[in-house]
Amino acid sequence: MSRYVKLLSALLVSAALASTLFATTAVAQESTEPSGELVVSLSSDPTSLFMPRTADRTASNTAWSLYDSLVWIDEDFEIVPALATSWEISEDGTEYTFQLREGVTFHNGEPFTAESVVATWETGMDPSNDYANVFEEAESVEIIDDHTVRITTPEPNATFLTRLATFWGMVPPEYIAEVGIDEFAQNPVGTGPFRFVSRTAGDRVVMEANPDYWDEGLPKVERLVYRVIPDASTRLAAIQTGEIDIANRLTFDQVSVLEGNDNVEVVTYLNDRAYYVGFKNIGNGEGSPIEDRNVRLALNYGLDRYGIIQAIFSGQAEPLPGFVVQGNLAYDEEMMQPFPYDPERAQELLAQAGYPDGFQIALSCPADGYVNINEVCLAIQRSLADIGVEINVDFRTTNSFWSEPRYGVTGPMYVDSWSSEIGEALPRLQGALVPGNYYNTWEDERIAELIQEIEQEVDRKARAQLYQEMHRLMTEDPPFIYLYQPMIFEATRANVEGYDPRPAEEYFLKTVSLEEE
Amino acid sequence: MIGFLSKRLAESVLLMIGVLILVFFMVRLTGDPVSLILPVNAPIEQREQFREAMGLNEPLVVQFREFMLGAVTGDLGESLRLRQPNLEIILERLPATIELALGALFFAVLVSVPLGLAGGMNPGSWADKLSRSVGLAGQSIPNYWLGMLFIVFFAVELRWLPSFGRDSFTSLILPAVALGFAGMGQLVRLTRSAVLEVRSSDFVRTARSKGLRRSRVSGKHVLPNVAIPLISVLGIQFTYLLGGSVYIEVVFAWPGLGSLLEGAVRDSDFPLIQAITIFISLFAISIHLLTDLLYGAIDPRLRHS
Repeated sequence: MSRYVKLLSALLVSAALASTLFATTAVAQESTEPSGELVVSLSSDPTSLFMPRTADRTASNTAWSLYDSLVWIDEDFEIVPALATSWEISEDGTEYTFQLREGVTFHNGEPFTAESVVATWETGMDPSNDYANVFEEAESVEIIDDHTVRITTPEPNATFLTRLATFWGMVPPEYIAEVGIDEFAQNPVGTGPFRFVSRTAGDRVVMEANPDYWDEGLPKVERLVYRVIPDASTRLAAIQTGEIDIANRLTFDQVSVLEGNDNVEVVTYLNDRAYYVGFKNIGNGEGSPIEDRNVRLALNYGLDRYGIIQAIFSGQAEPLPGFVVQGNLAYDEEMMQPFPYDPERAQELLAQAGYPDGFQIALSCPADGYVNINEVCLAIQRSLADIGVEINVDFRTTNSFWSEPRYGVTGPMYVDSWSSEIGEALPRLQGALVPGNYYNTWEDERIAELIQEIEQEVDRKARAQLYQEMHRLMTEDPPFIYLYQPMIFEATRANVEGYDPRPAEEYFLKTVSLEEE
Repeated sequence: MIGFLSKRLAESVLLMIGVLILVFFMVRLTGDPVSLILPVNAPIEQREQFREAMGLNEPLVVQFREFMLGAVTGDLGESLRLRQPNLEIILERLPATIELALGALFFAVLVSVPLGLAGGMNPGSWADKLSRSVGLAGQSIPNYWLGMLFIVFFAVELRWLPSFGRDSFTSLILPAVALGFAGMGQLVRLTRSAVLEVRSSDFVRTARSKGLRRSRVSGKHVLPNVAIPLISVLGIQFTYLLGGSVYIEVVFAWPGLGSLLEGAVRDSDFPLIQAITIFISLFAISIHLLTDLLYGAIDPRLRHS
């Protein structure tokens, strides 16, 4: 673990101590007016500032400063009130009745009411939106009275509230009806901590503090400027010169340059993303050696993931135990140990499977699709050659790699990764292991049934148990070779306080403040 | 002159049609944009819906017809990712790119013409040696590398200039110099060799032997004849700067067409890639035409032929 993480945790602990010791001072500070200009870099121009069209993390992080949803997810991934003050879930887990916060207004002065929830849902489902499917998870949105609304889902949905919290940025019904989605996306209006000032395509998005924000004491900066800087080395330069206050998506080598720079603090954390080698038991994988469980176990024992992490990532990644990764619901360090590197065991298993001399197989790789992925693919080839498995690495352009359903003719083995933005493994389980899904290549009935149970288990604790059961299943009969969980490297100016990004690279700037330099 | 122009015009139209065909089919060789644009977890039905909404499930011939009809009538389509008319997006970014290209050209001319003249007029002198080294350096140093070096040196170390963006005049300096560097190299060499050639021609010798002053010979007889090849190269340079600024715009986070194109390629935003390419090609072809006209104005031999 890097010294930055230690430093960061030490800072967090002392910050927590300080905040309890000086609780009164903190309260006094909170009531002060927002001040200063916070400049944050973006690695690409946001596709849209309308939440259902924010195609990637950069866009959703930017847009979210303008909005609120009914509920919010706190740092511990608990659902807490936001624009709804309370809610009830029906016995069968399909009806959510929300009490809405009163006296909240949109940036354009429209009052926030039950109508807004309906408008948000209806405009969210527009087929031209990237995330229309998230809004389709609700079957109906009914107005009970001005400040009570009932949302129904067709069946119990474990992650409905989580998606509600991160995608349903409430929109003002009159305004959006008047101007339409396209125009709304150009001049967005929400209830959020910041209001939209201007946008220059490819260059910047400017926002200012919402003086009427319902969450008192927030936001803490007066002006928020997002600057588009596509090149990581330019972001590195700009954080050094102080032209920006927060630089994201840097590499380990780049943040190493910042060591000893008192004006800059490095932020590192584990990303909620699992890198793996996928197998196909459909299409061209049918009848191949990997259909044998012992072969898949052998490949997991026979791959030196520890060596790969050292050699290619300078040790800055964690070996992956399974699809439940560090930081996820149900993660348990003792229970979830990655496969040890044991080439002898691997060879025994191969012999048992009837391949004492190994076999030949193709591994497809999305060339330059991820950080260092080409090197990783070649390292897999070298490492598995030691147990007699001859890998033909098949590099493909990213677009052709991800274009065809179920990876088309690639494989029968391929390298890919899957992230999750909800603090649970569910999205990657669904994406990779629900038969028939676009990127599913492994069909296992037991796994598919268990995913369905998880999807419908509304109780967190019960769901955690199901995840652990899933982990056992996916270790005994692995549908993947588990590779690694990567680290994220970012940097802030030393006077930036309260910047606390989450494992899916999400950050929320309403709590960030700027100290005097 | 009219014959010359109409011939050039016809050539331009043919060239443009070629560009359209190439662009349309080449972007389609790279795969399916839907998988890069929609979220990874998007269900198959949603992908189909999206494909239909964007007209991507039509047969290629139909798509091509639509595309050509649109291009001819000035309709450049809508971006898949930004959901905005492409022309609108391009026009928003165009001023930044023109500003950068003009800045680069200004720098290139400012350095290269005096240096090339000085070198060409005094072969073997220190000015000549300098002009030859600058010419070589300009043409052999890749501009994005130079850009990064500039950022580290002038922005991070010296703090003289901003490291990125388009905020004020000072933000233009580093990207313009980095972008103009290659053009400068070419222009120095060209100016120098043109001067050398003109200097040794008969009419210069005649002018000299008539007893004209050296400065008058340079100003009246040498310069105008050096200007002819220079102008045509400047035209080419300008179009090259418009289309070739992709790296520099990305390195300096310059919000112009180059960084727009880079993003569009990364996202496989077919309509936007097509639109930018068409736009830049049209621009380039028009400038070439314009250069030919200027050429005619300067060189009476062309006007009268």
